[in-house]
Amino acid sequence: MSHVSRRIFVAAAAAAGVALGSAAAPAEDYPAKPITMIIPLGAGGSHDLNARVMTSVLPTYLGEPVVVQLMPGASGRIGTAAAAKSKPDGYTLLFTHNFIDELQQYVTKLPYDPNKDFVVVARTNYAPPSVVVRSDSPYKTLKDLLDAAKKNPGKIKFGHSGNWGATMVPGAALLQAAGVKMTLVPYKGGGPAMRGLLSGDVDFTVAFPSVITSQGDKVRTLVTLADKRVFKDVPTSGEAGYPNVASIATMQRIVLAPAGIPADRLAKLRAGFAKMSKDKTYMKLLKKLDENDEFMSGDQYQTMREKQDKSYAALVKALTK
Amino acid sequence: MLDAILHSIELLMRLDTLMMMSLGLVLGILIGALPGFTTTMAMAVLLPISFFLSPVVGIPFLIGVYKGGIYGGSIPAILVGIPGTGASVATTYDGLPLTKKGQSRKALDMALAASAIGDLVASVGTVVLIGPIALVAMKFGPPELAAVMLLSMLIIAFSGTSMVIKSLMMLLLGMFFAMIGQDPIGALSRFTFGFFPIESGINLLPMLIGLFAIPEVLLSIEEKTKPFVEKSVRPEGDRLTLHELNDCRRTIARSTVLGGVIGIIPGVGQVVAALMAYAAAKTASPHPEKFGTGILEGVAAPEAANNAVNGPTMVPLLTLGIPGDNITAILLGAFVVQGLRPGPQLFAQQAPLIYAILFSMIIACGLLYVLGYLLIPLFSKVVMIRKAYLVPLTIVFAFVGTYVYRSNVFDLYFLIFFGLLGYAARKLSFDVTPMVMAFILTPVLEYSLGQSILLSQGHLFHYVVIERPLALVIILATPPLTYLMWYRTRKLRNPDPVNGPEPLPVKQ
Repeated sequence: MSHVSRRIFVAAAAAAGVALGSAAAPAEDYPAKPITMIIPLGAGGSHDLNARVMTSVLPTYLGEPVVVQLMPGASGRIGTAAAAKSKPDGYTLLFTHNFIDELQQYVTKLPYDPNKDFVVVARTNYAPPSVVVRSDSPYKTLKDLLDAAKKNPGKIKFGHSGNWGATMVPGAALLQAAGVKMTLVPYKGGGPAMRGLLSGDVDFTVAFPSVITSQGDKVRTLVTLADKRVFKDVPTSGEAGYPNVASIATMQRIVLAPAGIPADRLAKLRAGFAKMSKDKTYMKLLKKLDENDEFMSGDQYQTMREKQDKSYAALVKALTK
Repeated sequence: MLDAILHSIELLMRLDTLMMMSLGLVLGILIGALPGFTTTMAMAVLLPISFFLSPVVGIPFLIGVYKGGIYGGSIPAILVGIPGTGASVATTYDGLPLTKKGQSRKALDMALAASAIGDLVASVGTVVLIGPIALVAMKFGPPELAAVMLLSMLIIAFSGTSMVIKSLMMLLLGMFFAMIGQDPIGALSRFTFGFFPIESGINLLPMLIGLFAIPEVLLSIEEKTKPFVEKSVRPEGDRLTLHELNDCRRTIARSTVLGGVIGIIPGVGQVVAALMAYAAAKTASPHPEKFGTGILEGVAAPEAANNAVNGPTMVPLLTLGIPGDNITAILLGAFVVQGLRPGPQLFAQQAPLIYAILFSMIIACGLLYVLGYLLIPLFSKVVMIRKAYLVPLTIVFAFVGTYVYRSNVFDLYFLIFFGLLGYAARKLSFDVTPMVMAFILTPVLEYSLGQSILLSQGHLFHYVVIERPLALVIILATPPLTYLMWYRTRKLRNPDPVNGPEPLPVKQ
């Protein structure tokens, strides 16, 4: 079987696994049956796409298909709660991001404790958000935008992807760091927010690289809220004078497992995901999606996660007071 | 441009494109026909296959799944009265009565023909008018959307078969159900009493299956002596004749236009198109009282409309790179993995490829008709199953379908609740359509209203009147349009519930 057709076969097998459910094999070695990966978000989003890429490669390294289960609802809390409640046997994983993982606990009451109920398997990559305006906008630089906001508090409209969502948190973090007030207008996802920007309903939005490139010269990028530059001529938030924004604003895509998972199984999973991150097809597909492949091991991310916990507590407190 | 179009046709004329598109259509029809499996899920699961195919093969494959899935939902709606998706709710109104009259084959044929024609005309229209459609779509921001939502709800409530006051009650009930759970703007919990399983609100699927399939089952158990389909040698009946199709041409044309226009407005979608087209067909008909008793126009109207939505929904994706719904979001993923970034740039750089994809939408309509025509005899055999087996099977499908959707046990309780509610509504001559419509549209209305208030920065009236002329026009048109719908269908409603004539059968 050629390389490509083998991939198709694996993908089709994963598809069949969803449709039929697979019988568990009574074997000692792990994994002995397909692994379910819960995504607490809807179909067609960037997490879904990332997961489709991961699951088309993972079987090669884990020996069993990984089946995506979408459980959207209540800002990601439904899927996360289901993963927290599942048996910690290594057959249920959660593919989520830091805003759901560490921020939700400060926004509402949760039926789980993110820090006690989950361990980190891996951070697969991160998505650097950028502030964009229309190309005919009077705001040429981040300073223009923030100065205008200081002059007229509440007048400038920031269209984002929904409260405590992927593009709201980065934008809010920047506004908080700059100490300015604006009108926040939620949209149902990043796409509609970009539409709102293009049609002139809002003054700026926050978007991820693939969305920005596809808009060509219709939008202008003012700043990237990450540690590394994404666009050659666009400064990072650190360079623009806000050094603490990037660590809160960047979206970290992470794979978690329910706490209590046997150590050998966690080790196997961590090794499998690490190998996946070096796979040529995986890297090629991610590149096409305009996603980076900046993998981080579970241990390393755990340290970062604890820091985020504190930053989000402060952010939510500042925004909701 | 002509060059690009000619080149695009060259790109498409490959056997593997047609084969994969056919495969996509068959998979789409089969998955769409299974209650609980939505077109979105089918596409998400099949998406990785397209990663490893060339763009002119992989994307037509997914377009096949999309079109097949939207059509496939009409099959269980007609045969057993389970709307597999919201888009086929209106199809159950006349589809199931036709099956009971022994004309399921005609109904399935009509659904197929209307779907294929509606889809084809709307797709051609999309290819020709892609520029203007993109411009109009940009005009629909939150205030316009809120106005359209309000208009849609009122039209459905005022053109229903039960008394207007009853319809309005159901409308309010639907709005209430829609508000349970997190509020869409501030993410605060409402009516949940701190009970976590209903934080995410009530899901549409258990409500639909409960309201439509369960009462049907209960009623057929009540009438246990009557066979499900009146006895005849061939319970599935004859195929559709050209003459019958021709009789529905006005209905199909109206629905196609309506569906196409609704498809242009981002965030409205197939469900609204189908229900609005059904209401419009009834209002325009010289014999509105026959709707709901099993007439072919009642199947043609929603089916042409829900498929006509498909073409225009691709416009924001192709011209702006912004997906209008989940399905086009998945298509966006397929494009991007192929190294194609939909958006203003793509047309300039890859015109032949984009035209090839647009043409594949048109070819898919033709293939849908051929494949559907071949598959219908197989599906129509369902009615030959004895009632003693069919009724339990329907229950099994209703419960399994509800559960597989998102593996939430709580959805099953809602299924039972809405099943009983639907049964009571049928017995008391309450039409449940306004409730479903309100349930689907209230979150959109609430969201867009909230956005409008934020955008207006507290001066909503001023904002709409001065800055939003289109929204103002829609709001001003709402009372006369609602009155018109009410006036045209007023004879259908029983003026005196106590001494009046026999009440008309409530639509299913």
